[in-house]
Order: sequence, then structure tokens, then C-alpha cells
Amino acid sequence: MKSRDEVLRITASVTLACAAGAAILGATYVGTERYRQAAQLAAERGAIVELLNLGAGAEVTEVRQWLDPGLPGRPGTSAVRYELRPLGDATAPARTLAFSLDGAPVPVAAAPEQGPRPALEPLGRLFVARVRDSVAGFVVEGLARGYKNRIRFLIGITPGFEIAGVRVVEHEEDPGLGAEVATHLFESQFLGRTADQVAGLGVTRDPMPEDWHAALLRLERTPAPEWRAREHALLERERARPIYAVTGATISSRALTDGVRATVDHFRRRWSLIAPQFERGGGS
Amino acid sequence: MRDPRSRSARPRIAPAVRRAPFARPARWLAVALLLALAPALARAAGEPPLIRSTRIEKPGRIVLVLSRPLPRTDPANFRFTEAAAPDLPIAVREVHVTPLGERVTLVVGQGLDPAGHYRLEVAEPPLRLDLKPSPWALLFTVILSSALINNFVFTRYLGLCIFFGVSRKRETALGMGATFAFVMVTTGMLSWLLFEFVLKPLQLRFLQVLVFIGVVAFLVQMLDTVLKKTQSALHEKFGIYLVLITTNCIILAVPLLNAAADSGPLESFALAMGSGAGFALALFLMSCARERVELARVPPSLQGLPIAFALAGLVALAFMGFSGLSLFR
Amino acid sequence: MSAVLLQPVPPSTRQLILNGVFAENPVFRLALSLCPAVAVTTTVLNGLILGIAVLLVQVLSSVTVALARGLIHPRVRIVVYTIIIAVWVSVMDMALSAFVPALYAQVGLYVKLIVAFAIIISRLEMFASKYPLVPSFWDGFGMGLGFLLALVVIGALRELLGNGSLAGVRLTAGKPLLFFALPAGGFFSIAFLMAFFNWVERRMARGRRKPAAGGTHA
Repeated sequence: MKSRDEVLRITASVTLACAAGAAILGATYVGTERYRQAAQLAAERGAIVELLNLGAGAEVTEVRQWLDPGLPGRPGTSAVRYELRPLGDATAPARTLAFSLDGAPVPVAAAPEQGPRPALEPLGRLFVARVRDSVAGFVVEGLARGYKNRIRFLIGITPGFEIAGVRVVEHEEDPGLGAEVATHLFESQFLGRTADQVAGLGVTRDPMPEDWHAALLRLERTPAPEWRAREHALLERERARPIYAVTGATISSRALTDGVRATVDHFRRRWSLIAPQFERGGGS
Repeated sequence: MRDPRSRSARPRIAPAVRRAPFARPARWLAVALLLALAPALARAAGEPPLIRSTRIEKPGRIVLVLSRPLPRTDPANFRFTEAAAPDLPIAVREVHVTPLGERVTLVVGQGLDPAGHYRLEVAEPPLRLDLKPSPWALLFTVILSSALINNFVFTRYLGLCIFFGVSRKRETALGMGATFAFVMVTTGMLSWLLFEFVLKPLQLRFLQVLVFIGVVAFLVQMLDTVLKKTQSALHEKFGIYLVLITTNCIILAVPLLNAAADSGPLESFALAMGSGAGFALALFLMSCARERVELARVPPSLQGLPIAFALAGLVALAFMGFSGLSLFR
Repeated sequence: MSAVLLQPVPPSTRQLILNGVFAENPVFRLALSLCPAVAVTTTVLNGLILGIAVLLVQVLSSVTVALARGLIHPRVRIVVYTIIIAVWVSVMDMALSAFVPALYAQVGLYVKLIVAFAIIISRLEMFASKYPLVPSFWDGFGMGLGFLLALVVIGALRELLGNGSLAGVRLTAGKPLLFFALPAGGFFSIAFLMAFFNWVERRMARGRRKPAAGGTHA
């Protein structure tokens, strides 16, 4: 009898502890989630504004890209969907565009035919910034398979399809070696290259020329437009050359460069598809 | 058995009887192997498929091995895309066909990743092929990567307390490594089930730490009781390590990493397996080195833990050589 | 340690803090909770953020256990301690990810792993479950502070030697000793710091023992 009492008391005490703990955690979650999302959004918006050198008053549209696998067994029905939404307003109604895999526009709200449809697969995100109703630039999110794990990065692209900047936002490379690809010194090597130049971009193990190295270091202290005007000759010379790999981390350097090349290529081809639709729809 | 005469009279049976406890696991292993190979065997029995095998070669070439020639082999007959971008075809520049037509090589205009996931569509005859590394290769890659490249001890620095605590003797190190690997796989899989089917659908991700540590404590306790009741010899040997496991970061890290990466069942299993093997390897290497150091003259201030840390640093330096190791590069 | 336990009166606040920082420094003296000591200490800021998280978790858990002393059934006390720690760790995890996301991105996994730190649960078992609120608070504070200082010292050493900067401020032009920023360098930094602590202790012990009979320190 006494032992049963004991068991009951133990059970009660552990259950109580668990319940109280879960309640505290639930409350904390509800309390902090809002701030976490706000911080994430602010970081994203900050990166976009900085990459594209935007002033205040720019409005940013987030475009989420999805692959709709279509009806099972009928590959012809699969499509790519683009969900357009003002950045940071998850509740706003999304404008959706959809294209078949061959690039033909398809009606979005295709009536669900028989059977359940497979879930959408995410194909990455891009952001379109507009100032006074004209496109001021794009930021595209990309992924690359790095030396250890994946590298996630953002690429800023001007309306004229020139790289406005590259920013590594997530990586697990070795500190001191592969992690150097996430520094300004490496990232700003992409600056000013056109999409056509990026399409043939490679990596070299040659050491970076002293004058270029010094110029890239100066970029950390000078605003980008001013720097570009001043270093015009150097920039012109280096644009034709490959990316200089980080010493001791050629694989990481190559991974990021390949990732940038593929991401810019994908973006350019997809944008040519959605741009007319995007313009017509205005800023909704 | 002790009588020498009886041993010489039945020399062959005695070992067989002694080996009997292992016969059951061996049978299970055979059954598992058969199940794993069943699809391949079934395929071999039917009509040979048109495309026997596909392979991606490094500078942008796809090799198809066929059982009979294709009717059309012009580049327009093929549509090649990345699985992650099926709307953006990669242009097929040239098609090379061997005289008998049993081997077709497609040359595309860009570099391909042999570990990547691609899709090839053929117009005539209508065909769709997924080109990706086999699941076994992926499994092996994850195991390799978590055991060597991202070794828990030497590159993620997990489980150091236990690591320095039990790596003094080779025998304990081996026992500990085996126990850890086993517990990591079981807790890893159970946590994955809970995370995937309870926490994720109910949007209770924020409870993961509480739930995972509960799983570890529960499983270790259960294992301890079951071992004590059924396999007391095994329990005597490994029971002492089990107690040490409950609050250990290396066990907990497996479900946390899986949850962070949203891994599937196969990857979760491989990560648990690889990390366990990596930890056992680390323990073994370290114990070998430390047994040697016992005999060496170490400056008094460095004796004990400091020299062990320096040793671990040297091994970690050696393990850096593994990073970048890949089956596909 | 055993002397502390036998005393019916809790030790003074000053004694408790000094104990945590020097005599029983969790990293250098007790060699407990070493994982983060190597993992996150490539820079001062990372060490600091994890140190603060540990300090807060330790203090909060100590206080909780000291308050709930009477309610916890002795049979299941370890389980309940674990739950308490897990709760505070999760709270800390969510708070850090919400308010310092940039720093959290680098130490995220290790914040969650605080739950498995032997040092926290051992303080609950040895101290907070036996003493009232105020001394438990100071004991937790001292231990947490000792941990925080250890992480900051290792972080400073590694950042200065490996990266030539301190708390993100560049002090030298190049990278003096890249080795210290690498994974292996963390092990070596701790080895040298531990050896240094041992050396200091041996020197002090020798100085103290000179008048008395000789004999080596165990």
C-alpha cells in the first residue's frame, strides 16, 4: 500500500514538473517568436538594402519559387509557381504566376482533378526592389555545396544584370581557411561583373595582385559607388580575370563561385519569363 | 569439455556448439541482406530495361549504357535538367553513339556535379530518368562524413568530458565506444520518429530539447534494466558505461543536428551510425596514444589532462586532412 | 568540497564566488563541460555569449531547485533536475535566437547542449538541493562566472593569436598564428592554459609548504 502511494507521488511530481516546464516553454515561445521573426526580417531587409545600395523608400517584393510536381504519373502537368508578396507581410494575399516547364504560362488555380496532389517543392527565393515604380535591383538567394556543408548566400544584381554584391549568410567552413570566403575581401571580387561574364567565371590559384588586394581593402571603408568610380581602371582589368581562390581553400572558393554562376544563370532565365507579368501586375 | 579425450573425439562439433549463440544474428543478417537485394534480383529476372545504367562524368558528360539502340540520337531528342530546376534545361551540345548503339554519351555545355541530382527526359521513346547517386552511396557518404570529416570529437568538440575521462585504457575505450554507438543509433531513431510525427505536425519544435533528453534518459534506463534482467554478463561489462551516458552532449547532439537539418530517416540513421563510429574511433585512437604517454616523461605541469588535450589537438590536426574527402570528387 | 558540504552554515558569498572562479573553475580545474570551451571560443564574443547563457541557466536552475527543495521527491530528483535545466536552456535558446540572432547563428547548437553540461547538474545536486535560496544563487553565480571567464580567456587568446583581432577589432595586420583559430588550436590553447594553471598552483603550493615538511602536491 505504501509503495503504491510512493509511486503515485513520484508520478505526480514528475508529471507536475513536466507540465510546468512545458507551460513555461510555451509562454516563452509565444513571447519570443514575434521578436525572432522581426529580427530575421530586419536582417534580411538590411542585407538587401546594403547589397543594392538602396535608400529609404524602396519597396521590396519577395518572390518564392515552387515546383508543383503536378498530377502523379503525368509529368506534363508539373509547373513552376512564383508567389509574389511584399517583403515581411506574410498575411498579404500573394499574387501567383505559374509556368509550365517549357515556359508557357498556365492558369494558376487549376481545378484540382482527381486524387491528392503532391506537396510543392521549394525552389528558392528572390527579392525584387523597386524605387518609384521602377525596378532598382534584385537579390537572389543561392545554395552551394561547400567543403564541409552547404553554403547559403545572397547575390545582389542591378537592373542591368551586373553583380552588385555577394554576401555569404550561412556556412560551416573551417575558420581561418574556408570561412574566408565569407569575408568582404573574397565576396567583393564578384562586384561589377556582368551576368555574361559570370556565366564563364572560373577560379584561379594565382595570388591576388597587390594593387587589387589593396583596392578591395579600401572598399571596406568607402561607399561602393564612389569606390567604383575611383578604381574604374582596376575594376575593368579584373573583371576579365577569374576569381582568386582563398589560399588553402580552393574547394570552398570554387564551390561559392560555381554556386554564384548557377544562381545568376537560373535567375536570368526565370526573370525573362516572369518580368512581363511582374510589370503588368504593378506593385501588388 | 574439460576431458581431453572427449575433445579429441569430437573435434568438429565442439566449436560449432560454441559458436551457436552467433548463429542467430548471422541468420538475421542473411535475411536482411536478401530483403535489401530483392528489388535488384526481381529486376534482373524480368525483361532487360532499355537503359541499363547511367553515369555522370566530370566535365559535363552523361554516359548511358543501353540494352538496344535508341531510335533517335539527335540532341533535340534529349532534355536534361537539374532536379532542383526542372524548368531550366541544360543544353545538350553533342551526342556520341558507339557503332553498335549500346552506349550513348551526351555532352552538355557546362560542368556537372557527379554527386548532383539531375533529370533526363527522352522524347522518343518517351522516357524519364532520375540521375542521382544511389541511396547506398549517399548513406555511405553521410556515414563517412560524420565519422571522419565532421568527427564529433575532433571537429565539433562534443563529448569531450567522457572522451578524456575514459580514453585512458584501450579496453574501456572500446567498450565505451561500442555502447555509445549503439545508444546513439537507438536514441537517434526514436527521437527522429518523435520529432517527425509528433513535434513537427503539432508545431512543438520548441520542446525539442526537453523531449530529446527525455528520450535519452528513458532509453538508457530501459536498456539498463533489460540488460540487467536478460544479459547479466553483458550488463556487467557495459552497465557502468550506460550510467555515464544519460546526460552527455554527444548523444543529445545527434537528434538536435537531425532536427536542425530536417533529415529523412535514412540520413538520420546514417548520421547516428557515423557519429557513433567516429566517436568509437576517436576513443580508440586516443587510448592508444595515451597508453604510450603513460610511459613517456612529461613535464609535471603538463601531466594528466593538459597533455591529453595536446594529444587530442594533434589528432584533430590529422583529422583535418579528411575534410573535403568525398566519394564523388 | 567535502568540507563545504559538512558545514551546517552556508559559506559566505565572497567565498562562493571565488570558489567558482578560481578554486573549482569548471573548465580549468574540474575539467567539466569542456566541449563548448573548445567549440565556440574562436572569438571573444562567441565565448561571451555562451558564457552568459550558461551563467543564466546555472543561476536560474539553482534558484528553482533551492525554491522547490521540499517538493522534489528524492527518488526522482535527478530526473526533475534535468527537466528544470532543459526548460531553462530552451528558454535561453529561444531568447537568444530572438534578440541576438547574428551571434546565436554561430553558437546555436552549443546553447541547446548546455542541457547536458555536467557542471550544472552537479551544482544542483551538491549545493542547491541542500542550501536555501540566497547561497544557492551565489553558488550558481560563482560557478557560472567561472565558466564565463574561462570561455572569454580562451576566446581572447585564440582570437588574438589566430585572427589578430580582439572582439572583432583588428589589432594586427595579418594573422599571427592561424593555427590557433583552427579546430586543433582550441585543444592546444586549453592544454597550455591548464598547464599554466597547474604551474601556478604548484608554485603557490611549494611556497606555502616550504616552512612545513616537503612533499608533492597530489
